[in-house]
Amino acid sequence: MTALLETRGLGRAFGALQAVTGVSIAVEPGELRAVIGPNGAGKTTLFHLISGLLPPSSGRVLFRGEDVTALRSPERCRRGISRTFQTTSIFPELSALENVRMAVQLKAGGNFRLFGGRALLEASAARARASLAALGLADRADALAATLPHGDHRLLEIAMTVAQEPDLLLLDEPTQGLSPEDTTATVAVIRRIARERNLTIILVEHDMDVVFDLADRVSVLHFGQLIADGTPDEIRASADVQKAYLGGVD
Amino acid sequence: MKPRALALVTAGALVALPWVLARYQLSILTDLLIYGLFAMSLDLIIGYTGMVSFGHAAYFGLGAYGSALVLLNFEQPVPVALLAGALLAGVVAAPVAYLSTRATGIYFAMLTLAFAQLLYTVAYKWRDLTGGSDGIAGVPKTTLFWGGPSLATPQAFYLLVTVCVLLSLLACRALVRSPFGRALQAIRENERRFTSLGRDPRPFKLVVFVIAATFAGLAGALFAPFRGFASPEVMFWVLSGQVLMMVVMGGIGTLIGPVLGAMVFILIQEIASSYTEHWMIFTGVVFVLMVIFLPGGLMGLVRGRA
Repeated sequence: MTALLETRGLGRAFGALQAVTGVSIAVEPGELRAVIGPNGAGKTTLFHLISGLLPPSSGRVLFRGEDVTALRSPERCRRGISRTFQTTSIFPELSALENVRMAVQLKAGGNFRLFGGRALLEASAARARASLAALGLADRADALAATLPHGDHRLLEIAMTVAQEPDLLLLDEPTQGLSPEDTTATVAVIRRIARERNLTIILVEHDMDVVFDLADRVSVLHFGQLIADGTPDEIRASADVQKAYLGGVD
Repeated sequence: MKPRALALVTAGALVALPWVLARYQLSILTDLLIYGLFAMSLDLIIGYTGMVSFGHAAYFGLGAYGSALVLLNFEQPVPVALLAGALLAGVVAAPVAYLSTRATGIYFAMLTLAFAQLLYTVAYKWRDLTGGSDGIAGVPKTTLFWGGPSLATPQAFYLLVTVCVLLSLLACRALVRSPFGRALQAIRENERRFTSLGRDPRPFKLVVFVIAATFAGLAGALFAPFRGFASPEVMFWVLSGQVLMMVVMGGIGTLIGPVLGAMVFILIQEIASSYTEHWMIFTGVVFVLMVIFLPGGLMGLVRGRA
């Protein structure tokens, strides 16, 4: 079975700082992969490299077996990689529905229809409504995105990416800043959507309960390097990981 | 359907006014509408795409020169001159937009200003074509079409301007509601999110810049036969600043707001300049008060009440 996403020796330096070094991971279709590591381990940089927001200093990215290293983030998105950001990134002064509808339109095309395009707008709105409903935001559709509470912002951004029907979804700390109740609810939603839509997801997460609850496999970054890669049970048992990351817990 | 009724009444009143107003008042109203169209075109860039252009007068001026040259040298009907002026502005705007949209924020504003001043200098120095600092005088109001009715009366020309402005308003409204117009607003809201949802914002910015320049060119193309001249002042950066003030006073991102802003600006200018040559003091005071107390502009006031 070929991996949906594969990175080979992926690295990125910012001046003298080596943020990510020689990371090679392979994510199978349908897998839910968690990436963990202490602050500054290079998790978000790795996401930027996979989504194309940053070009790598070394190594390659393969998506569905094709080398996409040279492609920038818009092209990678159109090929099927959608992502959320660690700090919520939405269109604040547009309605929740328009936020999601825009995500659909940008991927589906017809963006240079200067006049009319009513059928296109309606079709994308229908898909957007379905995605909002899947995230439990159906009754917020007409609210201005900026006026929604923080928890709904996180869900709205996930709704935008899910509406694009990506093959690979990158979630950068989806539960960041959420209350324990909201975290539980968000985790349940992610699990349900992943199953229903047979999505492949890579998730950066700090909350270990969330990670061990959701993930099929876990990759551990430490100082930009991949120090472990395995099932949640293997990771829990690994001495290296204990030392680097979970040490303080026991 | 209250707004629609209001729009119809306003449009009807605009068409009926020439038979009520005195010649001088009609001339001011024509002026208001031309500047209103100019300000509305800038709103596409500022209000809907979130880019501040500080060189919009260049395209108004290109429209004015294009139209003046066609009317004076070829004695074509006015609509031909309008088309020529608008197209000239749009065509010149394309390479400017291509280069300026490489930058964002203040750098974009400075690039648009630099290119506008460059175009101003060309108009100023190319004496053979533009008449240099004297400009082109004696631009005639020709006919509506070949062998058609003359537009030389104030009433006829006013009606032509009104029709052009109303059609432009409808076109811009359709534009901002289209898939393309929605994309512009998403770019305004969050460019990084836009990019990572699958599109490069630059082609969108380029296209809207060219469209806005074309409408500014149309306004300029109406201006030249209306005033009977085109001169370098209509491309100067001061006018770029004034049209920016009109947009802000009227309410950005509303299309109709900038038209109202232009009206307020021109009316202050008309009234104050009959008392003092320092009429800009009054404009400045009103502008400052409006920015402080009416941050949404005149349209913000209207919408706040509704």
